[in-house]
Amino acid sequence: MKKNSHDIDSELIKKAKQGNHGAFNILMSKYYPRVYATIFSFIKSKEDSEDLSQQTFIKVWQQLDSFRGDSAFFTWVYRIAINLAKNFVTSSGFKKQKINTSIEDTEIDISSFNDIESAVIHNESLEEINGYIDTLPESLKTAFVLREVEGKSYEDIAKITQTPIGTVRSRIFRARESIVEFIKKEIITNE
Amino acid sequence: MSNIKEKISAMYDGELKSSEIDELIEILNKNKDMQKQLSLYSLINVAANHHSNELSPIANIKKFSKEIFSNIWFSNGLTAAATLLITLTFINNSDLSRLNENIDSTNQISDAINSKEAQLIAQRSEEYITDHVMKVLNDPSYMNTSNRIDLRNVGFNVNSKDGYSYIKGKEKFQLRIENKNFGLKNIRYWKHGNKMIYLVPLDNGKVVTLYGNISISSAREIAKSLNK
Repeated sequence: MKKNSHDIDSELIKKAKQGNHGAFNILMSKYYPRVYATIFSFIKSKEDSEDLSQQTFIKVWQQLDSFRGDSAFFTWVYRIAINLAKNFVTSSGFKKQKINTSIEDTEIDISSFNDIESAVIHNESLEEINGYIDTLPESLKTAFVLREVEGKSYEDIAKITQTPIGTVRSRIFRARESIVEFIKKEIITNE
Repeated sequence: MSNIKEKISAMYDGELKSSEIDELIEILNKNKDMQKQLSLYSLINVAANHHSNELSPIANIKKFSKEIFSNIWFSNGLTAAATLLITLTFINNSDLSRLNENIDSTNQISDAINSKEAQLIAQRSEEYITDHVMKVLNDPSYMNTSNRIDLRNVGFNVNSKDGYSYIKGKEKFQLRIENKNFGLKNIRYWKHGNKMIYLVPLDNGKVVTLYGNISISSAREIAKSLNK
């Protein structure tokens, strides 16, 4: 039986609530770039976006027990991030507030995230990546765009492209790997 | 290693088999490089959805969407985002009667909303919509796009003062076009302060966002005009 993203998140959240830091790190790996990108789109400052993203996940960790699963996990994380970003914009006391919660207190590892995100998430790099996606072989690009941009399930993509689900999974993976290589080679090394 | 990375890719998409998940969590727990891989996939998602209308559209989406959504009725009621958009006032389903949308029966709506397929599609779509609506509300530059559409046939002119909003009498709004449909079949709308946000799916698989002081009847007129 297959598990959808919501089921997988629920399983990770359950483990994280039981004190499994690894499960929480997986959730953070999955959502950190999107949180960072969201905050960066409002704040337009790498340093402050990093700080706010860290604050977001510290709060998420601290308040995880209060997450009841009424909404999707990312929706909940997103709300925390947006609230922090809004407070940052409207409150001059934010800098002081930051000092009160240190990363060390949380036993979660955020430090390894910022280097890649801050290198990649600005308009120029994102457009370069988009440009590269357009050059992918048609079969990979179609599967990738249907998934990432259109939000289709593997089953739907298999119907559209008239290919087995296993092939869809493989094509999406190969597209991602190709893009990862491009990011490592053309974007991160040029920073 | 490649096999594990493929599983991470499938996990990111929520397409992993139950039998594979526990093993993968163990691997990810122990291997920071693999966690980074997951993070990179997420980063790619950000890139792919950054000005996603710049990516070439998929030609047969529209036909497929008609098939897959033929039995699913989307409405303002189908919304987990209600839990998120706390500053927004959601308008009741009953208001949809003003849209003259195709509502067969309350039961059909109820069945559609509660069906597993609808819930799965909604979960996938909600995050995209949430992202989008939050940007509309919070990022002043988000709606200032280069999309210029001639709406004079429905009485709206480009505002000469700012060059990007449209005006007709007291109505004034901004417009943005996405090259994806967010899983929407019908118009979806929210009230935010004294402004409205409309997401209007078009026949060509795109979605138009209208944001400002604009009535629902005007939004429908614009949608009709864009579909011509």
